[in-house]
This record gives sequence, C-alpha cells and structure tokens, in this order.
Amino acid sequence: MEIGRQHDPTRRRPRLLPATGALGPHRVARARRLIPIYGLLLPGMLLYGVWAAYPLISSFVLSFTDWNLVKPTSFVGLDNYTRAFGDPLFWRSLSSTLGYTVVTVAGQLALGLGAALLLNQRIPGRSVLRLIYYLPVITSWVIVSLVFLYLYNGQAGALNWFLKDVLGVIDQNVAWLAEPSTALWAIAVLGIWKGIGWTMVVFLAGLQAVPDELYEAASMDGAGTWARFRYITLPFLRATSTFLLVVLTIGGFNAFISIFVMSSAATGTIGGPLNSTDVALTYMWKQAFTEIDLGYGAALSFLLAGAIGLVSVVEFRLIRRQEAA
Amino acid sequence: MKSRSVTRSLALLAAVPLVLSACLGTAASPAPTAAPPSVAPAPSAGAPTPSPEVSGTVTFWNGYAADGDEIKTFTEVVLPAFAAQYPHVTVEHQEIPYDDLRQKLVTGLAGGTLPDVLRADIIWVPEFADQGALLALDEEMSDFAELTGGMFEGPVSTNKWGDHYYGLPLDTNTRVLFYNTGVFEEAGVSAAPTTIEELEAAMAKVKTALGADHYGYAEGGTGPWSILPWVWSFGGGITDEDLTAATGTLNGPGTVAAVTKLQDWLDKGYLSPSILGGGLATSEQFGNDQAAMILEGPWMPGIFKNQFPSLEYDYATVPAGPGGSASVVGGEDIVVFKATQNKEAALAFTRFMVSEEAQLAMGKIGQMPVLASLAGNAELPDYYPMFQEQLKTAKARTPVPSWPKIDEAVSNAVLKALRGETEVQAALDEAATAVDALLAGN
Repeated sequence: MEIGRQHDPTRRRPRLLPATGALGPHRVARARRLIPIYGLLLPGMLLYGVWAAYPLISSFVLSFTDWNLVKPTSFVGLDNYTRAFGDPLFWRSLSSTLGYTVVTVAGQLALGLGAALLLNQRIPGRSVLRLIYYLPVITSWVIVSLVFLYLYNGQAGALNWFLKDVLGVIDQNVAWLAEPSTALWAIAVLGIWKGIGWTMVVFLAGLQAVPDELYEAASMDGAGTWARFRYITLPFLRATSTFLLVVLTIGGFNAFISIFVMSSAATGTIGGPLNSTDVALTYMWKQAFTEIDLGYGAALSFLLAGAIGLVSVVEFRLIRRQEAA
Repeated sequence: MKSRSVTRSLALLAAVPLVLSACLGTAASPAPTAAPPSVAPAPSAGAPTPSPEVSGTVTFWNGYAADGDEIKTFTEVVLPAFAAQYPHVTVEHQEIPYDDLRQKLVTGLAGGTLPDVLRADIIWVPEFADQGALLALDEEMSDFAELTGGMFEGPVSTNKWGDHYYGLPLDTNTRVLFYNTGVFEEAGVSAAPTTIEELEAAMAKVKTALGADHYGYAEGGTGPWSILPWVWSFGGGITDEDLTAATGTLNGPGTVAAVTKLQDWLDKGYLSPSILGGGLATSEQFGNDQAAMILEGPWMPGIFKNQFPSLEYDYATVPAGPGGSASVVGGEDIVVFKATQNKEAALAFTRFMVSEEAQLAMGKIGQMPVLASLAGNAELPDYYPMFQEQLKTAKARTPVPSWPKIDEAVSNAVLKALRGETEVQAALDEAATAVDALLAGN
C-alpha cells in the first residue's frame, strides 16, 4: 500500500478538494492519526456498548413498565418510582445500606491506615506480613462468606466458643446471623476484614510519596510521633483518603454476595432475619428474581444509582471545602 | 435465653406493600390438594413404541444433585435408555445446581433462552403457568388422561392451574419422622412417638437424659415447609379450602395452637434453637446425636450413608395431633415450555421420563416414583413404604402464583412469634391480613 499509493491518482486528495484545499493535508494527517486510535478503541467501545450501555438504557426503559417476563408489558409511567417511595421495606433496605456503608468504610479506613503505618516501618518480615494482610482481598467472597458463616454459627461457632468459653464475656451462645440486632453488623465485620488489605496497599502507595527529609527536619525541630503524623503524614494522604472514601462508599452501597450467601444460609431468607440484613441490592434482587417484578427492580436500581451519585458528590464537596479551608 | 431485649420497633410487615399491581390471572381456581394415592391397579404408563422418525435436540434443566447419584444415574442409565428408543433425539442435559435453577430460569424467561423441558419444583408450576410460559400438557398429549390415570393423584394435582394441567409429576416426596435410635435408647424412649403427647414425653426424656445442647427435635426454619406438618397436625393451615382467604385459617385456633406449642418446646429446650436460624443444619444435629428427631425427606438416607455411616435411626409417620398425622408434599413436575422449537421431541422425552423404566431407575436413588404400579416394587429402597404411608395424608403448599411472598410472610410471622417479639395471635393476624391481600392479587 505504501508504495502503490504514490501511483494511485484517487489517493491524491488535495487536488480533488475545493478552494479550501489548503486545509486538506491537515485533515488527511489528522484522519491518519485518529483512525488507528479509534480503530483500536472500537472493540472496547463495542463491548462497552453491548454489555454496559445497552443494558443500562434498556433497563431504564424497563423501569417505566410492569414487565414480568412473559405477560404483555405495558408502560406504567412513574408508578414504579412512586411505589418505591411508599415502600417501607425499600426505605429500610436503604437505611441498612447506609449503616453498613458507614461502618465498613470507617472500619476499613481506620484499620487499613493503621496496617499501612505499621507495615511502612522497616521491620523484619514486612513483605510477608503485607502479603498476609492482602490475602483476604484476593479470596472469593463466596468462600469467605461460608467461612464466616461457620465462625458465627449459633450452636458450634468459633466466635461463641471464644467469647463464652475463653473470655467469658457472654454466658449464652448467640446466633449472630439470626439475631436481627447483630446480623448486619456481623456481616459488616466480614466486609471490613476483607477490605483492610486493599485499603492498606493504597495507603502504602500514598505513604511512599512522603519525603523522608520532612520527617527528619520535623524531628530536629522537636516534633513528636503524633505531630509528625498529624502535620506531615495526614496532609500527604489527603488525596489518597478522598479516593478511598469514594471508592469504599460505592463498594459499601454495592454489598451483595456476602449478605446474599450468609443471610440465606443462616435464616433461609435472603435479607433475613426479619429483613434486618436487606440492603438495597438484595432487596432489588428479590424483586427481580423472587417476585419476578422486573420493572420495579429496575426502578429501584436507578434510585440506588441516584443515591450513590448524590453521596459521592456530597463527599467530594465536603472534602474540597475542607481543602479550601 | 437469647438476647431478645433488643426490640425491633422497625419490624415490618413483610409482604403488604409488595402487592403486585398487575392483575395476576383471574379468580383463584382451586387446585385440589393432595389426595391419597389411588390404590386401583393402574395401567402401566410404560414405554411408548420406539419412534425413530422423531428427531431433534431437547434441552433439559433439572437441578439433579451432583453430589449424590442423581446426575450419574440420569446420564448413565436414563439417557441411554431414552436414546435406544429415540435414536434421532439428542437430549442436552445441563447441570445446574438446584439453588441456582430459579434464577437461571428467570434469566432464561427474560432472555428467551429457556430449555425445552424443565424439572420444576411443584410450587413453581402455578407461577410459570400463570405467566403463560408453559404448554398445557392435557391439550398437547392425546394420552394425558391415560398417563395420569396410573399416577398418584396428589402429585398429579400439583400440575393444575386454572382449567388445565401444565405438567406431569416427575417425583414426589414428603417429610417423615426420623428418630435416632441410639439417642432414644440412651434416654429410655422405647418406641417412636405416634401422638403429640408421646412426642412431648419423648422430648422431655431426651432433655433430662442428655441435657443442654441436646434436643428432642430440631427444625431448620420457620417457613411453611418447616412448620406446616405441625400446623396441620393441630388442625390449622394457611388458607381456606378455596385458596381465597387466610384470615380465619392462618390466624385461626389450630395454627395459633401449633405455633404456641413450638414456642413452648423452644422455651423448654425440647426444640433446638436452630429453628430461629443461624445454627447447625438439622441433619448435622441428628447425625451428631444432638437432636433425637427430625422431619426429613427420602433423599436423606443416601446423604446420611455418606456423612454419618455409623448413624442408627429409623422412620415413623409424623406424630398425630388433633388434626391427625400430617406432612407436606414436595417433589418435582416435568413441564414443557411454550417456546420450545421441537415440541414433538420435547413431549416424547417428557413421556419417557414418566415411563416405568425411567421412574424405576431414578426411584432407586431417592427420587420417589409417581407411578402407582411401582409402589412396593422390590427394587426400590426399603424405606419408601413409610413415605408412601405419610403421603396418604400429606398436603400440598398453597398452589398460587404469589406463593414466594406468602412463604416469606408466614416465615417472618412465625419467627417474630417464636422470638417473643410479638404475641402469637398478633403475629399471625398480621400475616393473615398480608396473605389475604396477596391472594386477592391473584
């Protein structure tokens, strides 16, 4: 092609172009530059279109219908959305989602930062310890959910054995996953435990950016450990923390597998006992797959997406204001 | 005994706000509840003549268990036998874990990627029939009456929705009393209890002899499948005969008495706390001698054989209360989806699955046959007669499309009552109102 091109009259576009032809070579050059770029992006964009954009748009359309698979579907306008606002179980699932998110985000940030600070020290076996802390992150949700299911068992669980027989702080076994007052928080502990490693790694990366000279200078000026942490480490970690806060919040809102596996195995009901572990996604899942009420499920998913967007914006704003202050 | 102090003021009625706005079907047509198996020697629903002219591919979703012998027997015995009769039909058997089957079906319904033939939980048939997804087999099969004439009536009735039958029964089961003979001996219980009074006496003896962490009886939850045998034994139920209302039945004296009794047993430590959830599986407690009695189905002996090879136990019918000895009918039906591209082959395969040959092969490994002609067959497991005896009085769960919601409403109400958060009567009143609304929505 490269050789033949010179002899190919149709390729000599500039001559065929009208008066503005002077721009021609630029256009050709631009096209030559862009075509490979778009060409390479195309497969990804097609995949995104088929697997993300199309389902997104079609489920948005669905959310205005009463689609329940086979029966004729009709448009019901905003009915699904108004129904959601009047659905106490949906509100309850949202508030459980919020509680779960607050607890797991705070827990992961605090413990992840702690682990990062400790494993940033020059101690023997540091790499091995980092690996061990990271292991839960790469373990399957289903597997760890099943493991925690055994730990929390009300008749034979290791947690009861530890609290009752070793520490003696409880005198009766507790069925952690069957008590409406403990079930969600027991699952949140799993969420925190599983996320510490990842948060730690991101914090460790942030800590690398802190120049050692600053610590040395501060030490010479008489700053103690706390002052060095408060006035050097924390400000340097601000961007990292913002990133983590937003990503972990979205993760909290999307909690599903652990709750699905543990609540159904422990109580026979997804979101059980007595809806106490129903979060937004499990409630949505039940609308779609248990109740076969897909229009309503779709509407709930857009309300949740809206809630996540809102919370993320609020988080960004709060942090920006803090930075400006 | 448990930390019940933390009250849940937010405890909400499970199903009321979820009433489907869509008018699901018309008036609930009463599908007959399980009737005693017909005793008349029925004509054999045996093998049809080989039809080499039927051809094509049939996909079959079944949820047969991979950890037992079910898939093995199906693929190594049943499918080859079918292939011998229909050499030009290929059956595509897809291994789907039973717990994933429902989600897979809903996805399939949505995406138009359904199988041709499905082994469906009996409780799904009204729902999918109401959706208009199933072929009415009594219209499609000219020999439908002849086929069902040789089957037990109870399982056949689970295929009826409205005016038609949408499937054929494939396997049936019910729960009977399993009692741990070792524990009975240790506690000084000489025979299986036949009445509620004898049951209570046996549970008391077990508690006295074995003490804390040991229970007379273990149950795995508060849902209808778990509690209905007791509810029926006390003369209660979920709905009236016509399936139109729950008020008067679900909150009637029989159901209230049953739930009150369960609460009493739980408080006395006769009943394992596993009924509230979060504990050990009932089979595990039974196998570890922690529970003297459980109600279980015909698939359990095979599992016990592998998990607890030295476990010694025996079977009895559910102890009788004022309402007699009652249990709950389970099992699967075989249905054909309307969307099938190969109706003739799908129907041929469906017919084969209820033939004596296929029924006997699957029957040997715990899938109780639905053919009257196989009752008492010497090749079938020796524990079947007890289950067949129980099936004479066993009843089906309410066959209505809104069953999943009714199930959750009942389960939550009984759980609240047993946890002591709500009075039994109040909890059941609340549930009855919710179920009334769900039934009206049908």
